[in-house]
Amino acid sequence: MSQSRVGQILGRVPNTQFFGREAEIERLCRAGKGDLSADADRPAADRPAPSFLRRFRVDPATINLVLGPPRVGKTEILLKCFDRLFTERGHAVPVYHRIEQRETGVVVFAREFLATFLTAFTAFRRNDPNRLFELPGPLPTLVRGAAAEDSGWIRRLVDAFDLATQLGDPVAMLKCALSAPRVAAANTGLVPVVMIDDFHLVVPAANADERAGFFWGQEVLGSLASRSPRRLAAYGNANWVLCGLGRVLVEMLPADEELFGLIRLFEVRPLSDEAFEQTIGAMATARSLEVGESTTELIVQQLNRDLFYAGSLLDAAAAFGRPLKTFMQFERVYTEEVTQGRIARFLDAVLRDAAGDPARLRASLEAMHMVTEAGEAAPREAILECMTRYTTGAEGLLAELHLRELLNSDFEFVRPSVDPVLADYVRVRYRREVSGLPPSLVGDPLLGRRLRLAYSLMMSRHNRAVESKLVDVLSRFDFQSIPTASFLSVRDSNSGLNDAASSDGEDETRIRLPQIVCVSDFGSSDVRGVAWRLVSARGFDGPIYNEENEVDWLVTLIRSKEPLDMETLNRICERQETAGQRGSADRSARAVRWFISKEGFSAAAAEHLSSLGAYGSNYAQLDLLSDHLTNLGQEHRNRKPATEFELVIPTDDEAELIAVRTVEQIARSAAFDQGAINQIKTALIEACINAAEHGDSPDGKIYQRFQIDDDRLVIRVWNKGRVFDPEVEGPARRERKAGMEQRGRGLQIIRALMDDVRFERTDDGTSLVMTKLLRRPPSVVES
Amino acid sequence: MSVREIRSKLVGDAAIIYPGPYLNQFKGQRVEGRCQEFLGRGIRRVVINFEGTELINSIGVSILLGVIEAVNEMKGTLVLSNLSESNCDLFEILGLKSRLNIADTEENALAAIIRDSLAQGLELESLGPDVAAAIVD
Repeated sequence: MSQSRVGQILGRVPNTQFFGREAEIERLCRAGKGDLSADADRPAADRPAPSFLRRFRVDPATINLVLGPPRVGKTEILLKCFDRLFTERGHAVPVYHRIEQRETGVVVFAREFLATFLTAFTAFRRNDPNRLFELPGPLPTLVRGAAAEDSGWIRRLVDAFDLATQLGDPVAMLKCALSAPRVAAANTGLVPVVMIDDFHLVVPAANADERAGFFWGQEVLGSLASRSPRRLAAYGNANWVLCGLGRVLVEMLPADEELFGLIRLFEVRPLSDEAFEQTIGAMATARSLEVGESTTELIVQQLNRDLFYAGSLLDAAAAFGRPLKTFMQFERVYTEEVTQGRIARFLDAVLRDAAGDPARLRASLEAMHMVTEAGEAAPREAILECMTRYTTGAEGLLAELHLRELLNSDFEFVRPSVDPVLADYVRVRYRREVSGLPPSLVGDPLLGRRLRLAYSLMMSRHNRAVESKLVDVLSRFDFQSIPTASFLSVRDSNSGLNDAASSDGEDETRIRLPQIVCVSDFGSSDVRGVAWRLVSARGFDGPIYNEENEVDWLVTLIRSKEPLDMETLNRICERQETAGQRGSADRSARAVRWFISKEGFSAAAAEHLSSLGAYGSNYAQLDLLSDHLTNLGQEHRNRKPATEFELVIPTDDEAELIAVRTVEQIARSAAFDQGAINQIKTALIEACINAAEHGDSPDGKIYQRFQIDDDRLVIRVWNKGRVFDPEVEGPARRERKAGMEQRGRGLQIIRALMDDVRFERTDDGTSLVMTKLLRRPPSVVES
Repeated sequence: MSVREIRSKLVGDAAIIYPGPYLNQFKGQRVEGRCQEFLGRGIRRVVINFEGTELINSIGVSILLGVIEAVNEMKGTLVLSNLSESNCDLFEILGLKSRLNIADTEENALAAIIRDSLAQGLELESLGPDVAAAIVD
């Protein structure tokens, strides 16, 4: 069921303004339902009556942890999920409970949770969503309001809770409240999907009584995780969705194998640029607010796709009837919001909540300002030293700021938050409250700063997109064979897209890409208007995962308006060397250098790259490579199941002739002509020689698989052990190749006779995969 | 398919060697040995007849190149004959075709050798009537 057809019950954002979260909602709904097979999506009338047997087939308890940074939209996903499940009227009964305040304590939590649960369950049973919005009365009133078929078990549950309350036993109250979903499931055959939002609030504030907070936080998790057969038999089953600040939730998980066995993680990431733009557009329309196209793009970049900030800004603009058609109009509203509007007040509250008292607040502000101004990693010791001037317990406070993602702290360094609005807020507040500078009479210096940055921010969007593409391309490197001339070679500034594309068929030089396992950012720099970013991609380019085959592709993405000249290239090379050394402590891997310049290279620079044994590409080639890798993957996925034959021969003298006889029959049955069959036979002979010559096969055998597809014969040859010295055309190994002329002759023959040749990594070696395409006569093709 | 021993014969002062169905390392070494044998006996004109040779592998090619080199060092002549289309392609792929003397038949190979040798005063009749006829043709 798509979200647009779901009624809005708890969801705060109208469905017409809600974009880009369909996949998350769908996944969470399915998980909430415990993946109850296709039945979950069928109308109630079509479903067989539930039975205990069926119920117990479901995993005994599922805890879905919804994690994500602050204000990424987790709550709205939960609410939309609630609306969907409620509207579906299926097997799953949605319950949404939000922990309002961290100081509530276990008793209040238990009571409020039970009230919320019973209210939501009754609302669902009566198909009356209005009940969700009624003020919760005392528990006995919930018994009276329950559906007739439920009043019995609800009464017993409430009585048990009252008894625990009278005994003054908070643990018994908590367990009683948390067992409500299981009791409901056991008595109704339905599966409650219990969503608890802001679950991180069960962890005590830094200034609260820690023992009490941790006690009931872990008690909740412990109760949910119970797999005791006795309890399951008594209470049935339920699915839980716990949502909150990722860092806090992860911190509170005990090292309990059983608990982790029940947990499923859902990472909620920020909306895509496109979805956020759509949302801004819809929100502006709903507020009758004019927002320019470029301004929308600026909002996306400047607010880091934060829906709370966007809503606040649009509300403020709408409230005063101020359109956001120009950068100036937007930045004015933004500055007011960050200095004295809703955003400022909200961030005041966040900081106050994290710090607790004025001294700790001052220390927090100092730390955040220090890392914000540094713009990069600041030594942790320096930050702590600064904080200690204002408060004791700086370590704990720094940890609290980290948990709330107000900054990022590790054992050595502290980095600023990725939230640019928070950075502006910190600057403004620091200037006002710490630096002692006189306040502005009109406006704020932030406006000037934002206007200065606006255009470069807009540019950075495009740059980030290219950088993302590069990282995506590198992470998809997986031993594919690609034509070098098309993607990794730019001879001069004019040999751009057209030349590169046309050379695919002419230049047969190919490179086997490595398999990349890790991509790291080594930072960015610029020289005379030419900016670049250095990325390291580490992986393996040989058949075995050992040090010898470890490779480090140092990739430099260069933005310049002209083809890169020799002088700038040299400067970049120097800085690249330094950054590479600084960026990685372990430089043992062989380095392969790849320069990607937006506008290509001058003839001299291209020549120089060649002499360095480095690859050079332009942005267009990067796009082409991305498409090429996608197509290769698509081709692989779309292939129909093939007819396969396997053959194992000894590495003995002339055993390859048996393979040749076999492939001859197979190729003939697949309608290859005699000329092609002869070529296949010759190639197979060479593959077998390679396997026999270069293998350390412990069993002395050569394995072969012949696979017939519609239009091709794919032959895979391997042995168990170190198999082939695969084709390595990279500049780093050209020298080695010179001494392998004789050995290389076999591969030369194979490549010439077959349509595609590649090496694939297997668990115990490498297999040579050769493909021969079936070229049918034209008449056959036409028919 | 593989016959362990290779055949050869003498036609006048030219040797003709038949590698058999599969020229691999083993057969290549046999061809090499037989050729060395002929060269040792002062026979410097050699034809290798590939009729019936279905497959040649890269090691066989490498050894063959060694044989050609040995004959050249002795100022002799070596011609390959009766190559199948696929074997001919193999030499083409490896860029060796221009370095080889290739004839389509054994007779034409001998004729090429004799044309090459006539200048050295070779007796035409000593080669037998078939070959003499091929040369006259």
